[in-house]
Formats: sequence, C-alpha cells, structure tokens
Amino acid sequence: MKALLRQSALLVGLALLPAVVQALYLREKIPWQSRVAESDFVEVDTARGWAANIIWVDARPSEEFERDHIPGAVSLNEDRWDEGLSQFLGTQWSPEKKIVVYCSAASCNLAEDVARRLREEAKLPNDIRILKGGWEAWLAKK
Amino acid sequence: MKRIVAILIGGLFIYAGAVKIIDPVEFARDIDNYKMLPWQPSVWLALYLPWLEIFCGLALITRVFFRGGVFIITALMSLFIVVSIAAKTRGLDVSCGCFGHASKYLNFSWHLALDFLLLGGLLLLWKRPSPVP
Repeated sequence: MKALLRQSALLVGLALLPAVVQALYLREKIPWQSRVAESDFVEVDTARGWAANIIWVDARPSEEFERDHIPGAVSLNEDRWDEGLSQFLGTQWSPEKKIVVYCSAASCNLAEDVARRLREEAKLPNDIRILKGGWEAWLAKK
Repeated sequence: MKRIVAILIGGLFIYAGAVKIIDPVEFARDIDNYKMLPWQPSVWLALYLPWLEIFCGLALITRVFFRGGVFIITALMSLFIVVSIAAKTRGLDVSCGCFGHASKYLNFSWHLALDFLLLGGLLLLWKRPSPVP
C-alpha cells in the first residue's frame, strides 16, 4: 500500500514538471482569463444595426433550428459540419458580409466552436462574431 | 494476457495524452464544456492531465511504477465515467475530449462503452497472479 502511494505520488509529481514547462512556453498563446475574447462577441442591437450586411449562422442542433430560428439564418452545426459548410459556402456565403453565429444559452459553446472552425478550418476572411446571449437574447429583443 | 492488456491500455493513454498536448487550449475548452470548473482551472488541468496520462501509460508499458500507474489510470477512468454521466444527466451534449478532435466522432454510448471496457481491463491488471499450488 505504501509503495502504491509512493509510486502514485511520484507519477503525479513527474507529470507536473513538463506541464509547468509547457505552460511557461505557451504563456503568451493561452487565453488565461476567458475562453473567448470579449471582442469576439456582438450584442443583438449591434448585429441588427448591420442589417443586410450580415449572415446569421445557427449553430444549434438541426431540430432546434427547424423549430424556429432567426429569419434568413443558415443552419451549420458540428453534427453535420462538412455537408452544412459546403451548402453554406455554395449558397449564402459572401466575403464582404459579417457572420454572426448563435446558439442557445444552454448549449452556448456550440457557437464558439462553429465560429472558431469557420475562422481556422474554413479560413473565411469575414468578420466572424458570436451573438451575446444567443437565441434567448434575440427572442427577448424580438 | 495481463501484459498485452497493460500495453494496450498504456499505449491508448500515451496516444490520448499526446493528441491533447498538441492543443491544450482545445482540451481546456472540452473540459470547460462540462461546466464543472471555472475557465482558469480548466486551462491548468488541460496542461497537466495529458502529461499525467502519458507518464501513467509509460508506467504500464515499462512496468516502472506499474501499480502506481494502474492506480492513477483507474482513478482517472472512474472520474471520467462519473463526469460524463453527470454531464449527460444535466442535458449537456459535450464531446468527451478524450482523444482531441477525434472525440467529436465518439458519441456518448460509444464513449461510455470504451470507458467501461478500459475499466474492465484495469481491474484485470489489479489482480495479482494466483499462487502456484
């Protein structure tokens, strides 16, 4: 039992060393304060002010999108990413427009993931934002 | 038999750790998706946990600190199972994050089945060899 605890403590301690080195090495690249920069968000009122110069992207599951969504929004979620992305790029996408991604408050990380993939994987040049408060915020100000 | 199981589980944990070391921020987001920890502890955990998995995986393969490695991996697997079930019951549809991007293709049932399979393998590793009569 004593040997077991000693071995476990050693492994726990050993793993700490490279983790600290990695943290120091990546300290400038890691968002320590929040998972998404405040500048990546946009308020409902601001987004509405962009009027026609906007593409709404609904990152919620397809069933929720089919139930109701922001008028003109396109459904693009991680469950059917490849199919949804090619459909989006072929129909609604335009390089000049701003893209605002939203999800519901209960699954709010979906919008962050979709926005990040549009930037990093699809490499879209657009100004891509996340709707603050998501679908519920939109409904409240409808 | 036990040797093969130890190598398979050890290899799997080394792989799982390595894919997460490449992108710790992505792994921190996966942890944060469970909504159990604030962001900063999630980042520290994302930096630490993959290394712990790698060291424990190496312990299983090389047999250096073997029982310590089995003990920590068993504790981690039990924790993963509890956290996953808790997230599911709270209605969170999250990627487990176990294997970086590859986890996105692993649904909850498969994830849980894999966890229990690994836990079964680990229990086998806990068993001491029977004494020769």
